[in-house]
Parts: sequence; C-alpha cells; structure tokens
Amino acid sequence: MQVETVNLTQKDRKAVLAQMIEKGGGNLTKCIQCGACASVCPVAITGLPLYCKRLFRFLQTGHLEEILDDASSWACVACNRCTEICPRGVDPFHVVFAFRRIQAQELAIPASATTSLMNFYTTGHAVYGDASELRQKVGLDPVPPSTLKYPEALKELQTLLDESPMAELGLF
Amino acid sequence: MERCGLYLGCNIPLKAPDIEQSMRKVFPALGIEIVDLDGFSCCPAWGTAPSFDIDTWLVVAGRNIAIAEMKGVDLMTGCNSCFGVLSEAKHMIEEHPEKKAMVQEKLAKINKTYEGKTKVYHIAHILYKEIGLEKIRKSMKYKLDGFKIAIQPGCHILWPTKVMEVTEKNPFYPTMLKELCEALGAEAPYYSRLEYCCGMGALRSTDQEKSFLLVKEKLLSMKEEIDPDMIVTTCSSCYLQLDGAQKILKERGEIDFTIPVLYYTQLLALCMGFDAKEVASISEIPREEIIEKIQSEERAQ
Ligand code: SF4
Ligand code: SF4
Repeated sequence: MQVETVNLTQKDRKAVLAQMIEKGGGNLTKCIQCGACASVCPVAITGLPLYCKRLFRFLQTGHLEEILDDASSWACVACNRCTEICPRGVDPFHVVFAFRRIQAQELAIPASATTSLMNFYTTGHAVYGDASELRQKVGLDPVPPSTLKYPEALKELQTLLDESPMAELGLF
Repeated sequence: MERCGLYLGCNIPLKAPDIEQSMRKVFPALGIEIVDLDGFSCCPAWGTAPSFDIDTWLVVAGRNIAIAEMKGVDLMTGCNSCFGVLSEAKHMIEEHPEKKAMVQEKLAKINKTYEGKTKVYHIAHILYKEIGLEKIRKSMKYKLDGFKIAIQPGCHILWPTKVMEVTEKNPFYPTMLKELCEALGAEAPYYSRLEYCCGMGALRSTDQEKSFLLVKEKLLSMKEEIDPDMIVTTCSSCYLQLDGAQKILKERGEIDFTIPVLYYTQLLALCMGFDAKEVASISEIPREEIIEKIQSEERAQ
C-alpha cells in the first residue's frame, strides 16, 4: 500500500503559528509532546480524537485545514488539569481555546454554542429559561437581580458586545 | 469579612433557585451579609466570549467584577464555571498592564470603573477560610453522624491553582469539601474517581454520550467503593449533571441504583434547620427520604 505523504513547508508552519499567536495560543511552540496533559484530560479519556496533545502536534506541523471542522476542541471543559500538570508551561487550555477561536472565525462552531451566544446577547444569560415559577416556589423574587431585572444593565452588555470583534460574525 | 457580593451566574438562579435560597439563608446566619450584584450578566460562559475573543471575555468578566468593586465588596460564586471564568480573567487582567488598560477604557464607556481591588472567591472558600469549620459546627441543629457522603468538588475550583486566591495543598487530592462535610458529623471517604470530571458543560453539549461515560464511571466508583447515602457538591454544574444524568442512566438501565444529590449549602441549610421546601426542593432524583432522615427528631441537638 502506498502511503500518501503530505509535504509541509516552513511557510505552512509559520502561517499556522502566526494565527495561533494572534488568538492567544503562542505557547504551542514549547510543547514537547510528552503527553502529561493527555493523561489527565477528560476529552482524551472519553476517546474524542483531537484532545490537547494530539491537536498540538497537528498545529505544530502546520496542519490546520485538515482539522478545522473537528468538534473535539469544543468538548474541552476548560478544567485546566493540563495547565497544572504541563512540565513546559504551555498552558494547554489556552492553546486549545486559541484553536477554538480560529475555528469560530471560520464559523466551524457547534449549534449549541450559537444558541448560548444568542441567549447571552438577548438576555445576558448564556443558559436561559423562564424560572419565575420555580423561583417563587422557593420564596425568591421571580426575577434574579441580573440583566434580566435591569434593562439598562443589559444595554451595557450589548454595547460591549456590539463593539467587539464578535459582532462581525453575525451570530447575534 | 462582614459582607460579600454573591455572584449567581446562570444555572443557580434559573435552574436551581433552591440552591440560591440556601445561600441566602446560610451566609447571613453565619455572620456574612450577602450583597446582590445588581445588573450582573453571565460570567461570560466558556462557550461564549472566551471561545471567540479574549478581550471581550476580559471586558465582560471585568464588568461583573467591577459591579462588586463599586459596591466595595469581594465576590463569591457557587458555580465552578463562573469561578474559573472570572478567576482566569482577573489573573490575565492583573498580569498584563495593557489588558488592564483596555478593560478600564472599555468599561469607562459604560460608566464602570475597574481597579482590581475585588477578590474572586468560591463560596466553599468563604465557608472554609472566612467562616471556618468551628462556626459551622456550632450553627447546626441536626448533626450528620452515621451518614456517608461522596464528595464532588468539581474541576474549576481545583485547577489552575495559579489563578486562585485560595488553593488546595494538592488539587489532585482535594480535602476542603471533605473537611466541610466532616464538620457536619458525616464521613466523606475517598473514592478512586473523586477528582474526575463529571462530564458536564462543553462535553455534555458537544457529545452527550461521551459525557454520560464520565458521569457513569463516577457514579459506579462511588457506589461500589463507598456506597454513600448522598452525593454532596460545591459546583452547580456538577449538581445538575449528577442529578439529571443519573436519572437518565437509571431509566436506560445503565445503573441499578440512585443516590440523592445535594449542593453543600443546601445540606448545611438543612442541618441548620431551614425549610426544605425553600432550600432543597428541586431535583430529579428524589430527596424527600434523605431530608426526612437529616431533619429527624433524634438528630435534633
Ligand atoms: S503536557 Fe505540555 S509539553 Fe506535554 S504534551 Fe501536553 S502541552 Fe505538550
Ligand atoms: S482544560 Fe481542556 S484540554 Fe485541558 S485537561 Fe481540561 S478538557 Fe483537557
């Protein structure tokens, strides 16, 4: 069987690294693929394909398009076990999230994320549902003292979001 | 500390308001006045701004912290995700002067000031460090002698230690919640999946079946190794997962037992004698039986 080889140029690697640096994942270069992060990562334990260490190797070698649509990074629970344990100070969590931000820019986003983003913009709560009955049942005000209660506070949040680069994606 | 800002987040006020009510009962009873952070928003949750743009993450988190700061209080939250998002953001803002300047400038436009004086705590930290085990012991009406608890501290209260005000000696073998439960008279033995992730959050929304793998493994480890009377957590996401997913696993026949789940301040409120209808009345796995046992005549002090 013939094995297909992919020829990666220095240019590919540099282009990917530049994007990763811009999105907050510049420590990618420090990773020596020791696997310590993967030994404690919930994403790796569940068997999803592109857990931290493996994702980093793809990125280090300049593969980006090949993995852009993979959803593993969106399963990262941001637990930071990896950050605690990494012997090279990579802050793997930040590298995973930097990759997510590249995916987001290309709109490779799971539906659940777009829903919570819309909730976040329109109500101020990413997790939203009418809880007034439940709240009254336990003796609380029907509305919590958040953006839900103070329309001017919601306006403040929306102003911040309207002025952010996130607004350009057209998701809210 | 006499007053503290209570940062509620989303899940507690909108999905489990009995947890919110339990906090509003126990903290004043233990001498800490709760200050509401009027106009707060979502922290911003990991799947929102942090997944798109770092600066937006820092500004939205900075706004929530600024609300506490402008009221002259520190902030505590009972949601591990909120705690992680806010602690990480505060750490980045304080470590990078250019980020701090950016946050201050953007917040000034909406008439908010941020200096960085307010500290971000988890409610477990306030209970453990500020109030202390002795005061908790003395506040109890019902003691938990003879009960066995499986504890679930959750992820973001443990890692990364470098962004937190209060840390465990070894976050891979946490003891704070264990001691908080033991202070109530219960036993809280070790089980091998104690510090494992419950599978909630991003994992649950991205791949539900993978998420269930983790919570099932955790539940089996609890049941087989220590056979607890209840599960007690200080994370609202873990609470929702251990309670909600447990019911689904039971209905599917993947587990043949159920274990009631309580958030720590709910358990504490029950021990202090508060009304279960207010502090512990919303759950998938029934809790009536365990609550009746906790608030029973023979346990009354
Ligand atoms: S622990 Fe650090 S150095 Fe090792 S594989 Fe993970 S990111 Fe790379
Ligand atoms: S933060 Fe993400 S990558 Fe790191 S251990 Fe947790 S789930 Fe894995």
